[in-house]
Amino acid sequence: MENFITSKESLEFLKDAFRKYYENNKIELPDRFGRREFAFVFFGGKGMMRHIGFEKKIHLTNFLKEKSPCHTYYSSAYYQMPDAATMQEKNWMGAELIFDLDSDHIPEAEKLGYVEQLKIVKKEFYKLVDDFLLNDFGFDKKYIELYFSGGRGYHCHVKNPKILSLDSNERREIVDYITGRDLKDSLVFHEQVTGTKRYRGRSYPSGKTLKMPTPDEPGWQGRISKGIIEIVNEIKKSEDPIEKLKEYGVKQTDAKKLLEDLSEERVTRIKEGRLDQSKTIRKFFLNSALRKTAVSMSAGETDEPVTCDIKRLIRLPGSLHGKTGFKVEKIALDKLHDFDPLEDVVVLSDDLVKVELKQPFNIKMKGEEFNLGSGEQELPAYLAVFLIGRKMANII
Amino acid sequence: MVELSTLSKYSFLNASKNYVKDNGLSVEELLDDPLYERARTTGIERLDNAFNNRDAGNRSLATESDCIMELLSYPIARMIAVCIEDVYFKRRYALGEAVHAYKNLINEPTSFLFDISKEFNLDVKYSGDTNKIRIYFVDYLRNAPTRYKEWKMINRGLKNGYIQISHRDLARIIQEALRTRINEELDSKSCNKAIYKTFSSDIKRIQNIVLIHRKNIEAAPIGKLDITKLPPCMKTILASIQAGENVPHMGRFALVSFLNSLKLNSNEILKLFSSAPDFEEERTRYQIEHIAGRTSSTSYTPPGCEKMRTYGICPVDKTDDLCKKKRHPLSYYKAKWSQEKNKK
Ligand code: SF4
Repeated sequence: MENFITSKESLEFLKDAFRKYYENNKIELPDRFGRREFAFVFFGGKGMMRHIGFEKKIHLTNFLKEKSPCHTYYSSAYYQMPDAATMQEKNWMGAELIFDLDSDHIPEAEKLGYVEQLKIVKKEFYKLVDDFLLNDFGFDKKYIELYFSGGRGYHCHVKNPKILSLDSNERREIVDYITGRDLKDSLVFHEQVTGTKRYRGRSYPSGKTLKMPTPDEPGWQGRISKGIIEIVNEIKKSEDPIEKLKEYGVKQTDAKKLLEDLSEERVTRIKEGRLDQSKTIRKFFLNSALRKTAVSMSAGETDEPVTCDIKRLIRLPGSLHGKTGFKVEKIALDKLHDFDPLEDVVVLSDDLVKVELKQPFNIKMKGEEFNLGSGEQELPAYLAVFLIGRKMANII
Repeated sequence: MVELSTLSKYSFLNASKNYVKDNGLSVEELLDDPLYERARTTGIERLDNAFNNRDAGNRSLATESDCIMELLSYPIARMIAVCIEDVYFKRRYALGEAVHAYKNLINEPTSFLFDISKEFNLDVKYSGDTNKIRIYFVDYLRNAPTRYKEWKMINRGLKNGYIQISHRDLARIIQEALRTRINEELDSKSCNKAIYKTFSSDIKRIQNIVLIHRKNIEAAPIGKLDITKLPPCMKTILASIQAGENVPHMGRFALVSFLNSLKLNSNEILKLFSSAPDFEEERTRYQIEHIAGRTSSTSYTPPGCEKMRTYGICPVDKTDDLCKKKRHPLSYYKAKWSQEKNKK
């Protein structure tokens, strides 16, 4: 993929395909439209055109038709003067809370295909919305909006009026919470005295056990316990527990030892909330339960999670993603389960075009299987755009 | 009706302000009438205590007159603080008053704290039966010292948007809300000439102390860092922190990650922050070590000029010729060093 150069003709083709889309489709615009900053990247262009504000909707739709940008963004923040050149002059008024779940940052995702990557992201997304946003944070469903990014992930916008003015520091706390950062185990587990000895009229603890919170306790306390019990069950029920442990990142030799230690009696004790296990077992469970229940999230330019960035640009819903040709689409929460980008957001035409494909490629799009060999191919425009966008083909 | 002794202990309450108003006391009376001499000296005492001991201090509230003097000393102290016209001093004074209130609040019944939290518009739920206190997470985030690990939201039980907190926690949260409020009030007012005249000798005395204090801070060398070679952005952020101005998180982040890249250790960086009026060692250390990647697996890289500009922390009016050639504050600093070498 490294040395592949997208030809001038290909860029023209992409631009033309995008123009047709913008001419024939209406774009729904974000709320507080006039207070948002817009930004664009053009086909074959260098860098990003920023600090654009549109007073009227028609100005933006005309702009899209005329310029047919490769990528279209708007700001999660709203400003007094969205088109001012510096942030100070813009005068920040507030910003939605944005969660960016993309497969980029999910370990091992690189090796997987597009469809599998999206599946993993979806799983993370359910954790984010169900466990955290709705349950812990108690946000009303009507304030939660979900978008397919057009690429390899999903965005979630929280629009609860109370959170709009949170600064980036405060947003970081929310991210730390959701990603499970800095959990203090001494706050999760507490020591409980199981027996006392009396000596010279005073009592001293004679036995101690480490007590795990009950699964229904609020916040991370309950969450960790639930996670631990789930993992124990998984391991015990598994036909090949060693393999299962390896999936959790335990080395072969350690897995054997761990399993030996995890006697029936111990399992019962864990389920009763007593975690007076060896240190290794405890560590293993704590770390695994944390990873299992926390959400992994994308980082921005300076490795800051994007949620903390109160001036972030995000893709405009309804616009097209320049690397896939897919539409950035709003998804109803209850529709997420069945959402399939390769079916639902392929919006470009199916006119046939000829491309030169760099390597063999298989994909199912719009219900049709494509098993393509390298070399010259005649393909529907939507697939051609996808392949050119991913630097796998050029137009001929 | 709240008792007079309560009003004087918590002079920031609306009821306390109303008391002064209802008794028809004018600023002139407060300044000139021999009757209020003690309120005036106590006002000065509040300022000195806050600056030197980070606590405005307790005085006897045994008699009605004690209470009235204490109550009146608060607005007087505030008016003088404004006239000192120094951000660093104002921050430190606000902190001293807030800490003072905290120390008293922890001994009050929870229902009293609950009433005060309403005055600060904090969304707090309290039931006397179960004695459980819960606060909406947004208000928690705004006011809780989340730099301490045990204050981080992740280490608290959060459910349906509310976090359960203790009596002491609530007092601490009110302290922070009070500090913010006093800071805002002090910043929005300008010096009253009559006040300045009455207290001019004390004002000058305090201004001098603040000046000496500042000089001591600025002269202290920090490790191998050459402050004169810092790029304009870092100089500005550092100066604001040391002056006790409210530096946004991104600014602190930029400075710490920058210094960390220059291989300054946490102690050295901490020293730079230690002169801030609201400096809290443990809290700041945690923040520094977090950014430097010592408490977590990731160490953050300092932002480049482009990013600095987007965040409004590149001081456009202070950039120089070298800035034009550089795209990263770090390369600015390094270039300064090689410039010097070439000269030799
Ligand atoms: S141009 Fe770069 S180095 Fe210069 S002040 Fe701005 S951010 Fe700092």
